[in-house]
Amino acid sequence: MRLLWILIVISTFSSCWPKVKPGEPRNNTQKVFGYKPVYGAETFAKKIIYANTPQPVVAAGNIYVKGDLIYQVETGKGIHVIDNRIPAQASRVGFLTINGSSEISIKGDFLYTNSYDDLVVVDMSNINSISEVKRVKGAFPEGRTNYFFVQPPEPGYYECPRYDSVVIGWKKDSVQAGCYKN
Amino acid sequence: MKLTLNKFIALLFASFLLWSCTKDGSNNAASAAGKGGSLSRFTIVGNFLYVVDNHFLYSYNISSPTNPVKTNTSAINFDIETIYPFNNRLFIGTRTGLYIYSIDTPSIPSKLAEARHARSCDPVVANDSIAFVTLKGNSNCGPAESGLYVHSIKNIFQPVLIKKVLINSPEGLGLQGSTLYICCNNEGLKVFDVSQPANPAEIRTVTGAYFKDVIPYGNLLICYVSSGIILYDITAPTNPVLLKHITN
Repeated sequence: MRLLWILIVISTFSSCWPKVKPGEPRNNTQKVFGYKPVYGAETFAKKIIYANTPQPVVAAGNIYVKGDLIYQVETGKGIHVIDNRIPAQASRVGFLTINGSSEISIKGDFLYTNSYDDLVVVDMSNINSISEVKRVKGAFPEGRTNYFFVQPPEPGYYECPRYDSVVIGWKKDSVQAGCYKN
Repeated sequence: MKLTLNKFIALLFASFLLWSCTKDGSNNAASAAGKGGSLSRFTIVGNFLYVVDNHFLYSYNISSPTNPVKTNTSAINFDIETIYPFNNRLFIGTRTGLYIYSIDTPSIPSKLAEARHARSCDPVVANDSIAFVTLKGNSNCGPAESGLYVHSIKNIFQPVLIKKVLINSPEGLGLQGSTLYICCNNEGLKVFDVSQPANPAEIRTVTGAYFKDVIPYGNLLICYVSSGIILYDITAPTNPVLLKHITN
């Protein structure tokens, strides 16, 4: 009976064990070829910039509409702005760079979004001088660690990012295989 | 001739003004909030911003827009995915159930009810009496039977499942009046007449894209598809007419 309980407990938690594939590193001190985080200086990584140049959509995310504008998140990078004054001629007109962003909500002239684990308020009243007017640091603690855009672009082993720094990209290198993306 | 042209321009301008008036009907003040899709985690109701991450519902007072003040954090459950507001209610979709919160006291949302369901991905939209949930069962989301799940919320404390319509791979959804739009990925955008909520009638399926989420916005249906954004005219709500495909 006790053996049965042990088996149940083991089988319950077995899915929590890190997946080790044959021929792959067995511990996180071993070096493999994989993705390594590229860190940005926090002020740079969190700088909000608007440019009147449409950007290609790579990692499309949530949509939002207010007045004559439609917005779409570029997951982890910012927000596409679409001119919808004449829907039959609607087109992307600009891009708001907000690293670590995945959500949008707007009231009046103010856009609320997330930037990593921060809540950010952006004044949109003048499209030519868009500015961050408030940043509530650490508003969403999960945003540091739990968003999929703090993972490299491809499956495989990668170096676990430091969570006291902001990941702005990934490069291939010899890394310590601490994390794995399915 | 010149006069006629001027008249024509004036008329055009007037009709444009009129047209923008009708559109403003759904968004009547400059200070009003916009509208998000059903897969959102941020929503604004009145002077409050509500945010869900995987575990918590955060409430921020934004009556001073540049100085959001957190008024509450509620632990809800694991795997929260979406938040949808209707009047003084918040509908929160999680992988294990639908949660309904009251925001009669907007600074501190309070739980009214939950409707448990099999593990799945589940955005939700609602009106006064009905909550429409799509459940997507697959390897990522969970084992639930994929489809549209219609809950009566006439008794807000006790949601009752009144209808299940099996649909393949439903994702985001949008409700306008008695028309329900359901994004079904590769299988298109399904348009339902839900004037009898217990008996949703499938009117048509719009195909040609991989549909993920949708926002009905007055006469405009804004669709997030894998290849970009598609805009439809829904002056006739059950008959979306293509206006523009903005490709990625």
